[in-house]
Amino acid sequence: MSDSQAGTSGAASAPGGPAVPPAAAFDAARHEFRETANAGLAGRAALGRYAERVDAIIRQLFTAALPAAQPVSAIALGGYGRRQLCLYSDIDLLVLFEGPMQPRDEEFLRGFLNPLWDLGVVVGQQVRELADFDTLEVDNPEYLLALVDARPIAGDRSLFERFLTAFHTPAAHAHIVASLTDLMATRHARFNDTVYQLEPDVKESPGGLRDLTAARTIAALTDPSLLTRGPVDVARLDEAEDHLLRIRAVLHVEARRNHNVLTYELQEKTAERLGYPGAHARQRVERMMSDYFRHARTANRSLAWVHTAAPIPVGSNIGRSERGIRFIDPVKAAQQPETWLRLFDAAIEHESVVSDAALATIRQNASRYGAEDFFPHAKARNELLQFLRPRAGLYTQLSEMHECGLLTQMFPEFEAISWRVVRDFYHKYTVDEHTLLTIRNFERLATACPAGRERFGSLVHELAHPELLVLSLLFHDVGKWREDDHASESVRMADQMMTRLRLAPEQRETVQFLIKNHLRMSRVAFHRDTEDPEIVRQFAALLGIEERLKLLCLMTVVDIEAVSPETLTPWKEELLWRLYVDTYNELTLSYADELIDQRQSNLSELLENRPDDLTEVAITGFLEGLPQRYLQLAGRDAIYAHVRLSRNIARDDVHVKLEPKAEGNWELTVVSLDRPYLFSNVCGVISSFGMDILRGHAMTTPGGMVLDMFQFVDRERYLELNPDEGPERFAEVLRGVIGGRQDVTERLRRREAGVLHRAVARHTPMVHFDNQSSRRYTILEINADDALGLLYRISRIISKNGCDVDLVLISTEGRKAIDVFHITRAGAKLSSDTQQALRADLLRMLGGSDEADQEYRSAQQG
Amino acid sequence: MKLIKSIVRPNKVDEVRDALSKLGISGITVTEVRGHGKQKGHTAVYRGKEYNVNLLPKMELEVVVEDNVAEDVIKAIIQAARTGEIGDGRVFVIPIEQSYRIRTGELAV
Repeated sequence: MSDSQAGTSGAASAPGGPAVPPAAAFDAARHEFRETANAGLAGRAALGRYAERVDAIIRQLFTAALPAAQPVSAIALGGYGRRQLCLYSDIDLLVLFEGPMQPRDEEFLRGFLNPLWDLGVVVGQQVRELADFDTLEVDNPEYLLALVDARPIAGDRSLFERFLTAFHTPAAHAHIVASLTDLMATRHARFNDTVYQLEPDVKESPGGLRDLTAARTIAALTDPSLLTRGPVDVARLDEAEDHLLRIRAVLHVEARRNHNVLTYELQEKTAERLGYPGAHARQRVERMMSDYFRHARTANRSLAWVHTAAPIPVGSNIGRSERGIRFIDPVKAAQQPETWLRLFDAAIEHESVVSDAALATIRQNASRYGAEDFFPHAKARNELLQFLRPRAGLYTQLSEMHECGLLTQMFPEFEAISWRVVRDFYHKYTVDEHTLLTIRNFERLATACPAGRERFGSLVHELAHPELLVLSLLFHDVGKWREDDHASESVRMADQMMTRLRLAPEQRETVQFLIKNHLRMSRVAFHRDTEDPEIVRQFAALLGIEERLKLLCLMTVVDIEAVSPETLTPWKEELLWRLYVDTYNELTLSYADELIDQRQSNLSELLENRPDDLTEVAITGFLEGLPQRYLQLAGRDAIYAHVRLSRNIARDDVHVKLEPKAEGNWELTVVSLDRPYLFSNVCGVISSFGMDILRGHAMTTPGGMVLDMFQFVDRERYLELNPDEGPERFAEVLRGVIGGRQDVTERLRRREAGVLHRAVARHTPMVHFDNQSSRRYTILEINADDALGLLYRISRIISKNGCDVDLVLISTEGRKAIDVFHITRAGAKLSSDTQQALRADLLRMLGGSDEADQEYRSAQQG
Repeated sequence: MKLIKSIVRPNKVDEVRDALSKLGISGITVTEVRGHGKQKGHTAVYRGKEYNVNLLPKMELEVVVEDNVAEDVIKAIIQAARTGEIGDGRVFVIPIEQSYRIRTGELAV
């Protein structure tokens, strides 16, 4: 092959003539390599030419093989991918298929790779399908490293592009950089961590080719500008690489194998080939080794610099270095204000700080942007809510955001209370600092609960959306720029913010409620007679549901604590806790006695705003017999949806609605007419799909209509992975089980038994009956370790004891299930004998030896 | 002079203070305290678990008044703090032997 062809990337063919057979093309390429190496010139350019000739051969073989059944791509990896192919280097290839391999794909693979092996090439081939890159092969660091240098050679180009997108994620980059660092340390240790080897391995020794590549790789994966800012000029690094490659080429040619050690024997020959002057061989060798050490030092210093200065990728254009979290490209970041919050989020997640340089970028550019620019799309708005989850470090980062001027740009309303001084007898800090301290106190309750406050701390873990409390805290005092009623002004200002953030109506209502009433609980606890049941009833009516009570209680505690270090005394805590408990009991134990009254005022609002497809009669008919709290529990739109779901419900009908919610949660609504085992069957079906019930409410009207609402986590991602048929299949099973056509026990048995045998009791189960709190019902409260199928088993035992479940409140606190059942037997409260029998059955089951378990064991033995 | 020390329900403090100010009494010391008298706490149930609330939060108010108004002050406190239920609290009257003003060291009685 003539020199004029070198560097072309076409097929291995003679100019103008027929294609050269691969064997001849390969021999010609190797011959040229040897010649160049012997002339001491096989540096970067020559290796590049050799790699391109091999590319052409591979392309030829790829095309000649029988076509694959699907899109496929041949990709060069590692040194070959970098076009630094030496004479006896392995040729690392990735054969990438779009999907799972078919028989014809195997034929293609044989047709492609066999001739390559026949050429005598050592091929290191990896065969993968695109989906394999969804997860990182963490146990194969060398392979991951080789993938960094991936270069397409033949086949489907778009497949290669898709591979790049799947593979190059911040997480993958971070992992690779960490692995590379480990590999480097091990390798250096083998050489006693010194560059100055008398017989150096030009590839592996400290300062060798691997170090040079490592420096380039780390820079490419973290901050490409690193090498230009380092202690060594980029041109000198290229020169060092060229020199080391030229030596290595001679070693391969002389040793006729993949040999990289510059032994005494080979030093003379190499010095001669590289054209070092000198009368004696020893002089030539000394000159060459002197150059070698100079270049090795260059490589070594570059790697050391990159290693200390590289930001580990923790997000798009965000990296973590020793100085904290920073933008990798500050110029780009300055144009993307919607990404700034991620910097502070990364600082929390990685228990780090935001670097001074990044803060300076924000400080310089923040005033260029308006509040909308920080949250221009749903993703950014969702990231804000995620950011506000109470976690260790939230206060510190919010304070940092305030210091650098970002907080007031994101939330201009906060400007009104920046360094605002309100003089009274209690507050010790400016209003903005008081505000941020409330968040710090909440964060502490969630993460490092102060001794004695565990009872409040445990409530944090029961909240469905603690981030809404943080948002409320952030805005609860913004109205304090005015002297008068600051709570109303804070609500008005928070409304502006919530409009910008396009918060969902129910989120908005929660925030408005909390801000408006943020002083209410302390007023009632400290200034009203909370031993008067009427006071507690009024307070409970204001709140409506336990979630709001918990939110307001926590808000009150952290707000008082942020006034001054002495303000939240154990005395005040006790009063607040007592009010919390009394109100909680009012909300959970006696709510079933208060049914919706058609004359009440909030009903008229519901009727006036009804959508066209719903009549007044349909709505009032649906609400009849439901407890009052339903109106506070379900938002207006949810109520309308429930009315629609209840339309034309007949005896054997089960109407089901399944909706995805945030964070992999789902909401299931079931409307049906009451029948034995209904509740337990619904719970059983949810569990039989491996789903965990988080919270829920089940209500029955005196007319026999049942409305069940569940929120659950789809742990096995059944619904997510089967978006088309999954929900329908779920609903079908539910209808089958409720209609008696399918047996849920059978579906559950294996799962349930597995769980039972695995379960290790952490909490002693508690079963408590209360015949006093409700006029109509016996209240059964159960606290136990949460487990798959728990609600199903509990409710089945209740039904087996002849009891009717009319209302249920389901909640979880971490791994503890807290369930409250309102039950009757033959229309009346339970007698003490029935209670005793039911308690014994429940405790037996919770202790892990219920009937289902025994049935399962005997089935196993039989 | 008399030291009048009363233990009242927390929610009655404002009413007692208002009543005292109507009598021209402005100096008052208020302390958050916990304890029990005949009320002896009660059993509360939270999530099915019973727990005793033995020491109830109360407020302690101290005023020092001239002997001739002591009776009116006591009556005002009782009237303002009374609900008629157990747990309304107590009023103690203690004679004062001597009183010094710390700033000047002068004997006030």
